Amino acid sequence: MDIITQLQEQLNEMSVVAFNTFGTLQRDAPPDRLSSSYPDPLNPNPNPKTEEDAKTQQPPAPPQPPTLDLAEQPKAMSHALVLAAKKFDALVAALPLSSEEDQLKRIQELQAENEIVGLELQKQLEAAELELKQVEALFNEATDNCINLKKPD
Amino acid sequence: MATSSAYPPPPPFYRLYKDYEQDPSSAPEPPPPIDGEYMIYGLQHTTDEVLPSLEKGGIRQLYPEGPNIDFKKELRTLNRELQLHILELADILVERPSQYAHRVEDIRIIFKNLHHLLNSLRPHQARATLIHMLESQIQRRKQAIEDIKQ
Repeated sequence: MDIITQLQEQLNEMSVVAFNTFGTLQRDAPPDRLSSSYPDPLNPNPNPKTEEDAKTQQPPAPPQPPTLDLAEQPKAMSHALVLAAKKFDALVAALPLSSEEDQLKRIQELQAENEIVGLELQKQLEAAELELKQVEALFNEATDNCINLKKPD
Repeated sequence: MATSSAYPPPPPFYRLYKDYEQDPSSAPEPPPPIDGEYMIYGLQHTTDEVLPSLEKGGIRQLYPEGPNIDFKKELRTLNRELQLHILELADILVERPSQYAHRVEDIRIIFKNLHHLLNSLRPHQARATLIHMLESQIQRRKQAIEDIKQ
């Protein structure tokens, strides 16, 4: 794939990583405590009065894995974003850029050289064809002579 | 089997070519290629293929204008700006979530600028491809000359 397409693909990848990051964070964010008069949604029963309450609290405890992801996912996603940005910079550094006038000059030089080489190729071709014709004529003579010599058999 | 209307008949121009075999000049010439602007399916098109400038799309241009743009420097600058704006968006969402629209709009403008810069590199790529093709053609011709000489 040519480098400009790679740059464009890299740009798209950066935008995908960015909006995936924000989307995931918004979707998986735990509810926030609005004021001290409302119950804390993260910790619904903070003061168990008896052991019974403590026992009943065990079954409805939330499963552990989602809270771990909440800390590691943003790190992984921001890492991906930084990697994508670095890749973009590396691709930009690898761009073989030159000015327009240089390119046009080079094109004209190459066209002139192409003409010269083309003419020479033409001359060589004609010379070779001439030689081929001569060789053919000699070959025909030789074979005619061979046939004439063999006639008395 | 539902009844359906037949297709419309083909255009009647075939009658004009009845004597084409005997007299090729009696039939009309094909229409010349269109130049300039033309209408198709109700939309205006133009044959002059040129990248529309950012103002035509109504986007603010973030990199300096001029005949010679240092593409690498501008691309790198815009990349930094993009990262900064993404970070700012994250901050704004934490502190003042209702003001996200301005930041998102900024990020959109940066992306449009970046893509426009990359698109304006395409003519340069085309010229480079042409140079490469000419070089390989010269190489092939020289090789053919060598082969003939041997």
